[in-house]
Amino acid sequence: MRSSAPFSVSDEQRALRNAVADVLARHSDEAQVRALMATDTGFDPVVWRELAAMGLTGLLIGEEYGGAGAGPVEMGIAMEEMGRALLVSPFLSTAVLVPSLLAEIGDPAECAAVLPRIAAGDLIAAVAFAEDGSARLPTTIATSAAAIGGAWHVTGYKHFVLDGQPANLLYILAGTDAGPAVFAVDAGAAGLDITLLTTVDPTRKQCRLQFVDTPARLVGRLGSGVQVFAAALDRSAVALLSEQAGGARRAVEMATEYAKTRYQFGRAIGSFQAVKHMCADMLLEAESAVSAARFVAGSFATQAPSRIADLALAQAYCSDAFVFVAATNIQVHGGIGFTWSHPAHLYLRRARSDAQLLGSPSWHRERYLQQIGA
Amino acid sequence: MTRVGDDKQSSAIEMRQEQRHLTDDELRDEVRNWLAANWIPGIDRAEWAELVVDAGWAVPSWEPEWYGRGLSDTQSRLVAAEFAAAGAPGTGHDRANLFACTVHDAGTDEQKRRLIPPSISGDSKWCLLYSEPGAGSDLAGLRTRAERDGDEWVINGQKVWTSFAASADYGMLVARTDWDVPKHQGISFFMLPMRQPGIEIRPIHQITGESEFNEIFIEDARVPAENLIGELNSGWSVLQTALAYERRFMGDLARTARDSRRPRAEKAHVLMDLARDAGRLGDPHIRQQIARVDALTTVNRWNTQRSRAAADRGEAATLMALGKVAMSRILHETARVETEIVGAEAMLAGPDNPVGDAVTFRTMNAYFTSIGGGTDQIQRNIIGERVLGLPKEPEPYRDTPFRDLPH
Repeated sequence: MRSSAPFSVSDEQRALRNAVADVLARHSDEAQVRALMATDTGFDPVVWRELAAMGLTGLLIGEEYGGAGAGPVEMGIAMEEMGRALLVSPFLSTAVLVPSLLAEIGDPAECAAVLPRIAAGDLIAAVAFAEDGSARLPTTIATSAAAIGGAWHVTGYKHFVLDGQPANLLYILAGTDAGPAVFAVDAGAAGLDITLLTTVDPTRKQCRLQFVDTPARLVGRLGSGVQVFAAALDRSAVALLSEQAGGARRAVEMATEYAKTRYQFGRAIGSFQAVKHMCADMLLEAESAVSAARFVAGSFATQAPSRIADLALAQAYCSDAFVFVAATNIQVHGGIGFTWSHPAHLYLRRARSDAQLLGSPSWHRERYLQQIGA
Repeated sequence: MTRVGDDKQSSAIEMRQEQRHLTDDELRDEVRNWLAANWIPGIDRAEWAELVVDAGWAVPSWEPEWYGRGLSDTQSRLVAAEFAAAGAPGTGHDRANLFACTVHDAGTDEQKRRLIPPSISGDSKWCLLYSEPGAGSDLAGLRTRAERDGDEWVINGQKVWTSFAASADYGMLVARTDWDVPKHQGISFFMLPMRQPGIEIRPIHQITGESEFNEIFIEDARVPAENLIGELNSGWSVLQTALAYERRFMGDLARTARDSRRPRAEKAHVLMDLARDAGRLGDPHIRQQIARVDALTTVNRWNTQRSRAAADRGEAATLMALGKVAMSRILHETARVETEIVGAEAMLAGPDNPVGDAVTFRTMNAYFTSIGGGTDQIQRNIIGERVLGLPKEPEPYRDTPFRDLPH
């Protein structure tokens, strides 16, 4: 019984899955995805308010701050569905990364000021930690913060900033004389320049931030910036696994549906073993990704000692699995899969982006090995 | 051996029928008490087997009138667990004894009375005579022939991949009895007595150097007509029954093996130790590959756990169907990475070169899983058709008499 505990599903969790699937069916069909991906912000206030009203933006936020006080397992359920639907939204940044970061920082005043507004759907917030060359935390931080007359100012840049464009509030990792720390910067602050990046995945918006003596507010302790960000990225990666698994499952369905209905040589192409076997291999990868995502969510929910090793291994696996499945889906579709107007490429774009967003598969594999003492 | 009808057996049946609706705890107590009262380590095997069979523990999930206790499959496993804990053999024939299970499901009452008791008491052994040199993945293409001669059938042909042939009393044989109908419709199922002059057993020399299997040459061997199981020419459906038991049992074995495996951190050390010994643990390329293999192994374990926890039978069945392909890949990839780690040593074999020898053994033995019990390619067809619902290949010879098939 103990070994299967990570995979048991409660009635509430089933209801949550159905509710999320239902709202996405209404608000994230292909036409809506394409309309939003053509915008700079990838943000639809109407959909966002509905996600908030359902308690999704506050899923990870404690009840004392107006959230649902749910955990990684519930977030995984929501993210699987969002991955399937390729939801275009600042959800991962605002509802996952920021609450995770604030939970790590543990500053009650900051939590009280920000989290209720996120839970209510009134605030879009983002985190900015990466710099050039890596989507992970930089080893030496180019961005610096200094107190000028008692007020902090940030100078430098941040790269690969998820949902920086629609955000009202940004949490920045910057170095100080007393070590790295987290600073809050308002979107309209003086000396802040936001440049939209052209991303391979148009359903997920990224930007580059440039700071010149930009007014900032210290959040948490000086010197703790790297630790709290690293832990927040781990919590968020758990959610990303589920998005990958959900997207992978959808890609298998697309390929299978097409293989049943596309006729060549007088037969459905899925009757050819060359195609059938591709679909079988896709299913193995997608279902394994689902198992991995759900196991790791359970592993974090119970604070299992092996959770970082589990996460690192799963993050590498789910990234590769989603890319493989999304890519093979294009191949199964043949010519139509090579067209922009077919959605198959959108899943590959998301998969390739997800596979770098919180570190590459090889980075996670090396991390896994170090976790197990190799 | 046959006791149905005598007083002792009748009273045993009545007793067992009264006990049909025990809770798990009550059953566990009963098994423990019975074992405590009867099991003596070192007891004569035949004497013990008779006790177990008479008490209905040999096949607990079968009907009381057929040597069982009418328990559920789950409770039968509970009995097996109690026997295992005591170190006592003799139960679990309702899952592991493919011969008895097949006779139980497809045999006549006379066959059940005659064939089952010696089998579940361990007096008679069995082997499988299914595959042929010309009938592997396409088993229904078998060409071993059975021809009627009075009260007997005369068998001629060749079977392969038979384990335990030398010790078997019966071969579970599928043979062609009608050549003028499509291939599935002309097959019959027999329990062939193995100890007779027309049967020659030759070990197969495997690519690993081992010999776990035999090929069986059958020349004018005889099987009594009363050993035909099921209707004449209905052997394919009897075979499906037997194969279903086999798959279920193999699944049980695979799960048990996974359960007993060491946890991941320890297991990774096999590859890690090999890399460390070869001075390659610092090689980033090797490190990446070790982590990849660990991921394959670990996600497969998570799949198994999910299939066990699944409330939805479809989800469990999906994951079970994927398990074989996953395991093949794990074994081949593990061996491939081991090969890369040991490098030139992989050219050497034999007791003087244990490192290379072991790596090559695992490389070769991986095919045991990716070919045995149906190739990975057949398994992918099954996944595609039964799980994903993709259409089957067209069968141009579906209605062609077997005699007219190209071969």
